[in-house]
Parts: sequence; C-alpha cells; structure tokens
Amino acid sequence: MSTAESTTSPNPGLRDRVGTVFTVRPLTVGLALFWVWVLARWTTDFVLAGVSGFDRGTPFIPAAPFLTTADAVASLATPLGVAGAPLVWFADTLRFAADATAYLPALAHGIWTTVLLTVFSVCLGFALALPLSVVRVYGGRWARWFALSYTELIRGTPLLAQLFVLYFATSLTQVLRGVPGVGVGFVPAQAFWVAVISFTLNSAAYQSEYLRASLESVDGGQLTAARAIGLSKLEGIRYVVVPQGLRLALPSWTNELVYLIKYSSLASFITVQELYGRTSTIANETYQYTELFVLVAILYLALVVSASALMDRVESHTATAGVGHTRQ
Amino acid sequence: MTQPLLSIDDLHKSYGSEEVLEGVGLEMDQGDVTVLIGPSGSGKSTLLRCVNRLTEINSGRIALDGQDVTGADTDVNELRKQVGMVFQDFNLFAHLTALENVTLGPKKVLGMDAADAEAAGRNHLEQVGLLEQADSYPAELSGGQKQRVGIARALAMDPELVLFDEPTSALDPELVGEVVEVMRDLADEGITMLVVSHEMDFARSAASDIVFLDDGEIVEHGPPEQLFQNPTADRTEQFLSRLHAHEETA
Ligand SMILES: Nc1ncnc2c1ncn2[C@@H]1O[C@H](COP(=O)(O)OP(=O)(O)OP(=O)(O)O)[C@@H](O)[C@H]1O
Ligand SMILES: [Mg+2]
Repeated sequence: MSTAESTTSPNPGLRDRVGTVFTVRPLTVGLALFWVWVLARWTTDFVLAGVSGFDRGTPFIPAAPFLTTADAVASLATPLGVAGAPLVWFADTLRFAADATAYLPALAHGIWTTVLLTVFSVCLGFALALPLSVVRVYGGRWARWFALSYTELIRGTPLLAQLFVLYFATSLTQVLRGVPGVGVGFVPAQAFWVAVISFTLNSAAYQSEYLRASLESVDGGQLTAARAIGLSKLEGIRYVVVPQGLRLALPSWTNELVYLIKYSSLASFITVQELYGRTSTIANETYQYTELFVLVAILYLALVVSASALMDRVESHTATAGVGHTRQ
Repeated sequence: MTQPLLSIDDLHKSYGSEEVLEGVGLEMDQGDVTVLIGPSGSGKSTLLRCVNRLTEINSGRIALDGQDVTGADTDVNELRKQVGMVFQDFNLFAHLTALENVTLGPKKVLGMDAADAEAAGRNHLEQVGLLEQADSYPAELSGGQKQRVGIARALAMDPELVLFDEPTSALDPELVGEVVEVMRDLADEGITMLVVSHEMDFARSAASDIVFLDDGEIVEHGPPEQLFQNPTADRTEQFLSRLHAHEETA
C-alpha cells in the first residue's frame, strides 16, 4: 500500500486520516525511534533498574551539551539584533531539548501506565461489547431493552462523571485495595483499576454501538442460510454474522482506540499517574507548563499514530473481498 | 406401498389475517423431482420454508421419511441436516471462500474433522464444476458460480431432500444454463428435489411432477407432458399461456 492509494481509497470519512499517512517514510522512522526509545526506557527502568550500573530514570542523553550549545548560539545572536531572531529561536529549541531529556524518563513511565490503561480498557470493553451488541440485534424484548438502556446511560453521561462516581461514591476503591497483589511490584494500585473498570464500562457502550451497526449491516439472508444447514441461531451468529461484523467494525474500532488513548488522561483526576498525570505533576513543580504540554502532546500524537498504523495493518491483513470496504 | 419421502397434508399457513397456504397436500418419493410453479405471491416460497421450518405452520402435517417435521419436540437442526436449501439470492457466507462455504456445515453441524470435510467439500465443488474456484470469495464469483456454490453447500450435508427457491431467477439470462445443467445432473443422480422454478427447460427435461400453486392452493399437478400439454384447470392454462408469452419475449 502507498499513500497515493490511500488517498484515493473510497469513503475516506470512514477511516482515521492519521493512520493513512503511516507509510510516509519520515513518520515511519520517527515512530520506530519513538518505540525504540520507549522500550529502552521501560527495559532500563523496570527490568534493569537495581542491577549495578543502572540508575532508574537517568536520561539516556545528558542535558548539559544542549545547554552549552544553546548558550553559545544565543551569544552569537546577541550582536545581530533583530536579524538574530532565527538563532534565538534555535537556542530556545535547544533549551527545550535539554528540558525534554530531563523529563522524558518520567514521561516514559507515564506512557507505560497510559498504554496499560488503554489496552486493558479496550480489550475488556470489547469482551462486554460483543455480547451487548448481539443482544441488541438478536435478543428478546427485555434483553434488548436492558442493553439499550445501558448503552444510552453510558453514552449520555460524561466519562469524568462516571469515573468520579466509581471512585468517590462507591466502595470500589476499598474493595480493590483489599485485593491481594494490588499496588505490589508491577501491579498498579487501586486507583488504576478503578479507572480500568470505569473506562471498560464506558468503552463497552461505545463499542457495542459500533458493533451493533456492523452486525445489522450483515445481510440477513446469510443467517437464514446458516440456519438452513442446521446451525443453531447462536452458531449462525457466531460463525457467520459476527466475523463479518467484526471486520466491518474495524474502522470505528480504531477510532475508539484513539479516543481511549486520549481520554485515559482523565484517570489523572483520580490520582492515576499516567502520561497526562505525570506531566501535570511535573509542570506544577517546575512551572514549565509550555515545554511540558508541548512535549506531552507530541507523545500522545506518537501513541495515536502508532495505534492507527497498527490498526491499518490489521485492516489490510483481514481484508476480504466483498466484506466491507477494502482497498486494492 | 412404500412410504413417501415427503408428505404434506392439509397445510395451512397465515401471516396475520392473510391466509397464504390454504390446505396444501403434496407427496414426494425418493428420487422425485417436483417443480412448483405459480404466480408471484401464491405461497411457493412459504411452502418450501415450512418444509425445513424456517417458517412455522398453523395447522396440517408434514412428514419426512415418516417422521413428523412440525412437532414441538422435533429437533429443527436435526431436520435441517436432512433438508438442504438453495436460495434465490444465493446467501453465501461473504467472509468465507467457496470451499469454506461448503465445509462449514459438515464441520460445525456434522462434526466432521477439517481434513475430511475439505476432501468431501472439494468433491462437491467438483460436482458443480467449481473446483478451481475453491479458494475464491463469493464477491469474486459470477452469479452462476455463486449459485453453484450454494448448491454444493446444500449437497455437502448429504441431505435426503433439497429445496430450491427460484435458483435461477436472480441470474443474468446467459448464466441460467450452467445452473440448470448442474440441477439436471443432480436429478439424474437421483437426488430428491423440490424446486420452485419457472425454467421450463428444466421442468420439461428433469421434473417427474409439476405442481401448480395458485392463491395458496394446489390447483393441479401431474407429469410435465400432461400438465403442460393438457392442463385441466382454466387457471393453469391461463398461467401457462402467460408464462409462454413471457418466455417468447425474453
Ligand atoms: N414473513 C412474512 N410476513 C408476512 N407476510 C409474508 C411473509 N412472507 C410472505 N408473506 C406473504 O405471503 C404471500 C406468499 O408469499 P410467498 O413468498 O410464499 O410467495 P411466492 O409464491 O414465493 O412469490 P414469489 O414468486 O414472488 O416469490 C405473499 O402475499 C407475501 O406477501
Ligand atoms: Mg418466492
């Protein structure tokens, strides 16, 4: 696949445009570098930390050279007056890089939590969404009504409110704190799990809505044919309708994943130190709001583009002639 | 006297207040090819769907091999193993290849292991002349090829009776022949077929019986020569002359 083909693909509104630029080479290289750095960070900080010679959270690249260069460039700019503006800008960029090297190790830790939060929520949400959507399409009256009510309740209220209700208004936190292993070693503490539960319940509603639409768009004659060869209704749904529905739902599923990466930042409101939480903690201590939020925006963008690129791969891998919209 | 393979007796079926089948009776022996003709809305599809219980009847009796079909304790999935169905719109499973379409039933319903099901599936595809398209998806096949896959899918369950609901009427005229040919082969092999079709070619050459259904009643039935040459009822004659006129203009 090439960008030329991607841009000429029919029905572009269905796709996340971010994902289709994956094949532009500089971006591929950038993403590769990003993930090499992230994985190296995780390995040193989580696995190798404690082994002699490794210090947790030490930047891979020292800040000092950036600062000295920045000072040198800035001193060159001073005699030039207004004409030195590009040099001043360059010096500022170098200072930004110096700050970034200092903050990035902590942010890599935040990325870990964000990724974990997103992956757990989207997967568990899917596990709930699939039966919900099947019930929405094929269930009896009461089951359908229940599934619809759930979906509407969740989609009709703010995610932050749902998170707060679970965290402050229920005893979920206490219950989770009592679970053996929570907050020990690699296992995140209870607030993280409250966020996972909250995002799971939320994502399940959205995903079930996407899946419902996809299941409904599978031509009903196929289920009749499945019934006619002796499959039960449930088997027909499982072997014939759901596989096609899943394939059709992939583009909207990608969107859900992208949303969740960004919305998982709400977990910082209940003390979870994911990417956004860490950033704002550091910003509140250092007052370097601009630098930090530019940095975190870049990191979120890298995560989102990675997710889209990954889902693009999944889409082209599962492409089947005649099922949904396929690119040549 | 041997027991008929399929016997339908005083079958009634209504949708709401609209009575679609008004006391239909029909018998088929093993190896029979019965062609059901009749105007649109006369209840032909409904009759077929009652036989494999895609539609529940209101009253009457349907027996397959002497076994009650419509009883509350009849296992419909067990029944459908014995009754194959071929649809007007093919209804192939879009995400499966031709071969996978054919093997799904044997694997999931008959519990065959994958290798056996595939070997048998290839035989059935060969039988309909589509071995080369085994790995094609439905979207990559022509209408005639799709319908032949549909036939292979029904045959793969090794049914006692195959129902065909207008198998050629969604096809471009030039593709009808290949499907009719396959169906004629099946008839020659002794497969019991109940076929809704206005394909006169097939009816004349392969049918053992023609049944004319109108307004939910069987108006007349008999061997093709008799029914086509000397229909006894006026309604049959009118219908046939309209059909012929249509065939000539087509
Ligand atoms: N599921 C249904 N609900 C309500 N009415 C139905 C249903 N299926 C069929 N009917 C009605 O029953 C009557 C007979 O329909 P049927 O499909 O059996 O006719 P047909 O002989 O197969 O016609 P055609 O040649 O058009 O396929 C029609 O009036 C139709 O509108
Ligand atoms: Mg019909």
